[in-house]
Amino acid sequence: MQDSLQDSQTEKRWLTALSQGDASAMGGLFELYGERVFRYTYRMLRNRTDAEDATAETFLRVLKRSAELRADGAFRTWLFRIARNLCIDKMRQHRLIELPPDATTSENEERTALKVAVQQALAELPLEYKEPLVLCDLEDMPAREAAEVLNISVPALKSRLYRGRRALRSKLGGVVEKTDEP
Amino acid sequence: MNRDFYRKLVDLYAGGELPQELEEEMEAAAFRDPELSHDMTTLRQTVEALRRSEDVPFTEESYQRILMKLYAQGVDIQPKAPTPAHLQYQLPIFG
Repeated sequence: MQDSLQDSQTEKRWLTALSQGDASAMGGLFELYGERVFRYTYRMLRNRTDAEDATAETFLRVLKRSAELRADGAFRTWLFRIARNLCIDKMRQHRLIELPPDATTSENEERTALKVAVQQALAELPLEYKEPLVLCDLEDMPAREAAEVLNISVPALKSRLYRGRRALRSKLGGVVEKTDEP
Repeated sequence: MNRDFYRKLVDLYAGGELPQELEEEMEAAAFRDPELSHDMTTLRQTVEALRRSEDVPFTEESYQRILMKLYAQGVDIQPKAPTPAHLQYQLPIFG
């Protein structure tokens, strides 16, 4: 809670500075949100190079529109909306899907296999299901904010989220049950 | 509460969105209804598997490559920079 309040105050300071023409404030915003935007774009695109491009482009677009910035709490939603649009553009282009890094040797094979299965199943879901799952279940974004990013109502978001989870379960078949911890 | 009522709550149960009391009530109802029990268990397991499915590593290399892309576009970006001087509090000078 304290961290989130502090982040919000920090965000406000950087946004105010940026909207007043202080381009160096972009560094502060990048520190605050760079990693989150990268994780989100990576989850959407499943490719590190594309995610790096999308992250850089997201912040470039913020800078280009810095005069319009308002420190009114809607920045994060706007930022993720830009990132989302860039991801959708990139998804229309051909891309390679990376498998998750095989560096999880400390985990048992079943759990690693489950992670791979979940990621592959998620990648195969229609975008309308995948997006709410990424925002709500992986990014841990509140429903209201995720709905704003997707430009849909909260009930519509929840409907897609719930249908998406069921679709994911269908794609996984019995894999989850077999691997679930006691 | 009837069976249909609990069935409508399975999605909320799976996402951990129900109050504790109602969650326990559903689990009790699931004892008497194998179909409901299966739906609840498998959906919750799916959500949990998804939530712990990936840890996207934001590596130093990715961080540097993104910065390079921004530099290449002429962005004056100075990560880990202190708060701009005009936003910092001035220390009082005594004496």
